[in-house]
Amino acid sequence: MSRLVQKSPSLCTDLPLNNSDVCNKLRLLKELLKSCYGPTGRLKQVHNNIGGHVVTTSTSSVLLPALSSSQPLVNLIRSCILNHVSRFSDCGLFAAILCLTLIEEAKLSGLRRNVSIKVNKHLLGMCSSYLQEEDCGCRVVLDFCSSMNLITLTRSVIYSKPACVLAEVEALHMSKLAVQAFLLTVPCNSPGTVRLGRIVTVGVEGHPVLNSAVLTGLLVEVHDHLSLRMIKSMQTNPLRVVLFSASLAGDLSDLGDGIIEAHTGVDTDSQILDQLLEFCKHVVEDEVKLFVCQKVLHPVLQQYLRNHGVIVIDRVGVALMEPLTLLTGAQPVATLHTTIPAKAYGTVRSLSVKEFGSKTMLHLQPAAESAVCTMVVCHRNETMLSELKAVCQQAEHVLRLTLKEPSALLGGGCTETHLAAFIRNKVRFFTSLILLVIYLFITVKNTVIPSQSLNEVSQTLTAVECSQSEYLLGVEGFCRSLESVAAALQHDGGNSLTDLTHAHHWTLPADVTTENMEESLTFCGCGLTRNSPNMKWTHLNTKYPQFSPAPALRDSTVQPHVLDSFTAKLNALQVAVETANLVLDVRYVIQDTN
Amino acid sequence: MLGSTIINHQQHVGLQKLSALAGLAHSFLGPNKKYKFIQDDTSGESVMVCSCFRILENLELTCSVGQLIYETVRAHQKVHHTGSGCLLFLAGVWSRVALEFLHRGIPVASIILAMSEGMDICMDVCRKSSVSIDNLDMEHSQSSTALSGLQLSKEPIKDTSQAPHQSKGTINVGHKSLKASAQRKIKLSRHFCEPKSENMSTEFQNPQPKLLDIAHIAECLSHGCVEAMNLVVECSRIQSKSSQQDSTCSKFNVSKVMTCVLPGLPEEEACTVQGCILLLSADQASVAHHLKDQLLKVVLIDGDLSGTYRHLGFKRLSGIQFMSEDTDLSSSSKEENWMEKVITTLMNLEVNLILISGLVGEKVIQRCSSHHILAVEKVKVSVLNAFADSTGAVPVTYVTQLSKSCVGAGVKLVIWRDLSSYKRKSSLAVNISTGRNIELVTVVVTSCIEGKLQALEDQFWTCAYRVHHALKDRALLPGAGVMEMLCAHHLQNQAERDPPQQTKAAAANPYRSVVLHHMAEGLIDYISTVMVNTGKFSKLQARTAVNQQLQDCNKNLGGAAFFSPLFSEAEKKDRLISSPVRSTNPPAVKVYDNLSVKQEAWRKALDLVFLVLQSDAEVITGIDQTEAVQKNLMLL
Repeated sequence: MSRLVQKSPSLCTDLPLNNSDVCNKLRLLKELLKSCYGPTGRLKQVHNNIGGHVVTTSTSSVLLPALSSSQPLVNLIRSCILNHVSRFSDCGLFAAILCLTLIEEAKLSGLRRNVSIKVNKHLLGMCSSYLQEEDCGCRVVLDFCSSMNLITLTRSVIYSKPACVLAEVEALHMSKLAVQAFLLTVPCNSPGTVRLGRIVTVGVEGHPVLNSAVLTGLLVEVHDHLSLRMIKSMQTNPLRVVLFSASLAGDLSDLGDGIIEAHTGVDTDSQILDQLLEFCKHVVEDEVKLFVCQKVLHPVLQQYLRNHGVIVIDRVGVALMEPLTLLTGAQPVATLHTTIPAKAYGTVRSLSVKEFGSKTMLHLQPAAESAVCTMVVCHRNETMLSELKAVCQQAEHVLRLTLKEPSALLGGGCTETHLAAFIRNKVRFFTSLILLVIYLFITVKNTVIPSQSLNEVSQTLTAVECSQSEYLLGVEGFCRSLESVAAALQHDGGNSLTDLTHAHHWTLPADVTTENMEESLTFCGCGLTRNSPNMKWTHLNTKYPQFSPAPALRDSTVQPHVLDSFTAKLNALQVAVETANLVLDVRYVIQDTN
Repeated sequence: MLGSTIINHQQHVGLQKLSALAGLAHSFLGPNKKYKFIQDDTSGESVMVCSCFRILENLELTCSVGQLIYETVRAHQKVHHTGSGCLLFLAGVWSRVALEFLHRGIPVASIILAMSEGMDICMDVCRKSSVSIDNLDMEHSQSSTALSGLQLSKEPIKDTSQAPHQSKGTINVGHKSLKASAQRKIKLSRHFCEPKSENMSTEFQNPQPKLLDIAHIAECLSHGCVEAMNLVVECSRIQSKSSQQDSTCSKFNVSKVMTCVLPGLPEEEACTVQGCILLLSADQASVAHHLKDQLLKVVLIDGDLSGTYRHLGFKRLSGIQFMSEDTDLSSSSKEENWMEKVITTLMNLEVNLILISGLVGEKVIQRCSSHHILAVEKVKVSVLNAFADSTGAVPVTYVTQLSKSCVGAGVKLVIWRDLSSYKRKSSLAVNISTGRNIELVTVVVTSCIEGKLQALEDQFWTCAYRVHHALKDRALLPGAGVMEMLCAHHLQNQAERDPPQQTKAAAANPYRSVVLHHMAEGLIDYISTVMVNTGKFSKLQARTAVNQQLQDCNKNLGGAAFFSPLFSEAEKKDRLISSPVRSTNPPAVKVYDNLSVKQEAWRKALDLVFLVLQSDAEVITGIDQTEAVQKNLMLL
């Protein structure tokens, strides 16, 4: 019998962005994420209030999944950013902060929503094409002949997460390891399509960071000491390996919802076990020496295999299966209904036992060249270790992205301020051009105006469908949003400045007065430009005369200290603007409250 | 639904919580510990605790900082079994220090930078002042031969010509002419231990590594727990004897030690027994009497001994229907079938003893007993492994797996003690061992007060692990507050000086000096709290005494500070030992601390402070609206 409950009507919010509750929530989300941003960002302690595990983090990929809300708009933004993070790993916080600031600026400007949306879209196009230009002032082309830029890029990713609590030396060590591991995944001499290998990250708690290491081959944790004893007495010849992805626990877990009918006298368990034993007999006959199972292996089978000199590793987990197939060349056996074909077996060159802290692991070395390696990440406690592991994986992803697009963007907020200055300058050029047209039209009546520029101007204004003043207002909001992301890097009450030559980002500590300002500014955020006598600064978010930001002089001795992933940041910029536009476009929110 | 609370307004609530919770640790510091009662108001139950770990375990803290503290302490306790109090206390003082800096408006990044540097200084001082246990041992043997009431001449460590030797880490253990004081050399690093034998002159080279005297090391590490430490020494003696057939005390394998808790007996009856002491019920007792003093055959079962038990990861079939023509077999007869099979298997293999890591039903035990088979449940896996090693038995999960090759032989059962007069659940304690060659040692912890047993057991493990870590590190730190004093002294000195050149980031940190000074204050606070806990000092007296010592130290060093830091340390140590802090102990015994444990505890304490210091908000998941309003949370 079903119970009837009266359905409550759906809840409809008209113009959600005019609703103060919604705005408060968006602002809270913005503040929460803004305070996490950058190397001096603040951490968040995520827990469930009933004594569950506490996660201390400032990483968007860990934090955002925990931030579910009752407000659909918040969830919309969250899922857009998470989607970006899952594809690019980096720049999640950048995208989120920019998106939320754009929404706020659009509200503050008082512009019609569709005007804001169009201006944003137009400026996004302007930024994207500028960033991809040859002479873009904030892009660095990566040189694969030297590992220096790669290490800088990795270091920027690793150093931006304060929950790792890394000293400078430790951050550098980890960056070098990450680059080394990445290089190991690039196969050296395989013809045809190159397929990148895999890095398996193993965390070891309670050891100093500097003990972290990269090893070729794979480390697999072994739980029982019977196998370990066998390995110690084993000679190191190439060993035949079989990989099982099917469960060998002796149950029928893949039965689904079906029903089996059996006679009472039938002992299903022992019948299944007999089948499995038969299976193992074949494996032993085929001279397999290493038996790896993703899931549980029945104790009787373990005993049988061990008695026949086979080393057994079970419960390796799904994450290790792909690296294991890459390393051994074996094909995972997923069914027990046919005999194992000979080509499904793989080989390993040697086995040895490695101990890291409390963990005892089996080291599998590949028989042939293989692009699989293991990164052992050590840290003093669990919280820092899990953050460091996440960051290392993030760094690996960022490095892979450089293979598609071998460039990087200046970090430390310099790209944002530079872009803002670029947009302002370009827009001023537009508007002065319009004035010129009008002037010429009135005075001379019959002149030749550079038609190309005119076209551009008219196209812009018709595309945006707004007046010139509206356009300028929208542009200002966009630039301010970009600059406020750069300013969000500062958390200790310091000031954010930009110089009037290259439009890079500079930070001024809170306790420095304006008089001795010039001494305390030595390098900009990315480290590419340094203080020079005739340099002028202005505070961010103040009006400054427009200028064309000059690209920093490419002196080979000066290298940027902070680099961001080009691909990730460009996509983050797009995601941020498009999400903001989507949110600005929402007219009604209808919630089913049942 | 999700709530969020901002921790970091002007007052950093997280740090305040940390320092408040760390207050719990105060009375657990030092050798004179005081018990605390934790009472549950709703159930009226109470627990008596005597260590930081146990108090946190019983408090069920729900705030995120509390959770973080508990996780940190638990992780430390799991590995080290000692030093949790030190960890929590220092986390508390240093969080207060950090809070103070925040009030002064020092940026978080600068605090972290300077405090990390301070920690590096402390770690360095610890490394440099560590004493090799080999040297400790020598000193002891010499001093015990010269025990005719004469004061040992404490000369300063030799002349400067020895300095290069020391820096290479050579330790001339076999040098005849060295005086007692010269043997107590301070190693520069424990990592320099390895090339020792190469550098030693062949003339005096000892082909065998010198056997350590654990009894002496244990004495230095007892920290007031003399009874518990005696049990540890006894364990070591038994283990050494079983492997070397002599009466020295040079081996200690903590993984082969187990404890057995016996309530109702006076505390003096605590003892150490070779073999494995198991408590048996009345049913089992009769079998035990039958089996005593025979050589038994044993099988080891890793899991439960029951017909329905399946190994870990086995999923039971849900969609199965049994059809039958005749009357359905009831589950009891199924059980009976299984039982029959088990007994037959065991009888065929002539098994007398089954050790089971999981549970066994009452019925099964009785049934086994009737066939003169003793089944003992809840045996630790480490014990199973020890028996597997010494008898050749192979642990199995199911009885059906058993074959001749899985059965171990040569186990002896001795009635250890009849407890039937105490009217307890267990009526008999038996000792199961494999003769003399088993390293397994059981420590029987007894007390008339049942609530105290846990604390006594913890105390034993603390002592056992102190010795274990000392043997693992091969080095110790001067204890009784000397190490903290030294570190405080170095921190203060460094604070006055300019930072070393290699840390150019630190050069730009204008707050370095003040932060280092405050870190030193934290350590001084630690020493004075330990002194207060002895009951002989007021807080003020303790602080003045410590500050006086530090000042003296500075004065004596003068310009020679750079010249011989080792000398000053050695001398200071002598002086401090004679200070009234340890006057309760006989003066001959020096107090030492574990090197790695102390370093780890300090590091973890500071890491905890860093994590909390950098946190500015708590994100609480799965909270509902009313709760959020009550707690004044912001809802997202």
